[in-house]
Amino acid sequence: MESLDDVIDAMIADRVIHRHRRKWLIALALVVVLVVVILFTGGWKEKKGRTVDTVDAPTTFEAGRYEFGVTSAQIIRTPKTKYDPAKARVELSFDVKNIDDEEHKSNSLSGKMVLLVVGGGEDPIESNGATCRGAINWVFVYGLPAESCTTKFEVPANFTGDKLEFGFLAESYDSDIGLLGASEDPYWHNEKAAMVVRVPTTTTTETK
Amino acid sequence: MKLYRTSTVLVGVLFVLLGGLTRLATPEKVYDSENREIVHGTIGETLKYRDSTITVHRMKVAKAYVYNDDKPVETNGAFVAVEYETVRGTEEVGSNDATLTTDDGTEYRPVAATIVNGADFAEPGFARSGSLVFEVNTADLNGLTLNFVTVQFWTVLTQDVSVDLGVPDEKVAQQLVDTAAPEYVIPKSVTRVA
Repeated sequence: MESLDDVIDAMIADRVIHRHRRKWLIALALVVVLVVVILFTGGWKEKKGRTVDTVDAPTTFEAGRYEFGVTSAQIIRTPKTKYDPAKARVELSFDVKNIDDEEHKSNSLSGKMVLLVVGGGEDPIESNGATCRGAINWVFVYGLPAESCTTKFEVPANFTGDKLEFGFLAESYDSDIGLLGASEDPYWHNEKAAMVVRVPTTTTTETK
Repeated sequence: MKLYRTSTVLVGVLFVLLGGLTRLATPEKVYDSENREIVHGTIGETLKYRDSTITVHRMKVAKAYVYNDDKPVETNGAFVAVEYETVRGTEEVGSNDATLTTDDGTEYRPVAATIVNGADFAEPGFARSGSLVFEVNTADLNGLTLNFVTVQFWTVLTQDVSVDLGVPDEKVAQQLVDTAAPEYVIPKSVTRVA
């Protein structure tokens, strides 16, 4: 048998819930709106600023399974033609050596390992990998001397600069956590920023 | 509630038995890797790859390679070219990665120019010839072995092919390098009726 106290308690609880329900609903709606707004404005990106050293070219350094020797860079402009709009690209000249002491494995340099740092809070531009001896996507052999290569970045047609900054990522040789069934054999992955190189840049105009 | 009911115990026993059964089901042969059966062979030998076959006809060492009438591409080391022929059976062959390995544990991969980086198969009943070119370090050629490693998404029992290219010691390796051709023209892949 319910006592009067219980009934009164239930009534009070009912009132309290009802009194604050609108506030709760508004708070919930606000969270949803916030999520939608953040999603549509390009997500949440943490800008950390630069966490690695910046050095001037020419320089040689090791990053993961490669040794890079950065020499020079060039902005190449292609003027507007009858059929094509004006274009520009940045070409970085660098030496690449495979120093993979762990696996002794041939490997080609992935485009995302070398970046053109635009600055001003914009995302860096990815390269197109390494082009050596006229062949794109060169496969670097462990044990051979460094190869002179170039890499290309697509930039807006009005891109300028006389000292460009290039970021180099380095992979590390470690294993995944085997707890969820992944193989615990180490391999090259987990690329992280290793070095930013400031390279004096010349600008040329290409004519066909 | 009773924790150890007869059915619970029975299911437990069943799981243990199942575990034992899977142990029994693992192949008796000792494989290099649990799920890969490797067929070993030499140059000229026709090797079974599921119900297809792979034959490596010759190996050539060169100082440069030419592809599609482009300029010759040179190297600080050497290029090892391997010419093979495949005959496709009816079974699905999937794709495979070709690598060259040496006694020192070095692994070479094909140059990017040829696009394909493994043994290429034609339609069932057809044969296809192809060529793979590897850039190598001339000081690291001992025990050169060509491997066709099946690419798989799920880890299941599969088969690889391993071909001994006949470089037993440094003397042979040096000889190969000394007699290297100045240029290797990568032949076009040819498909014919098997």
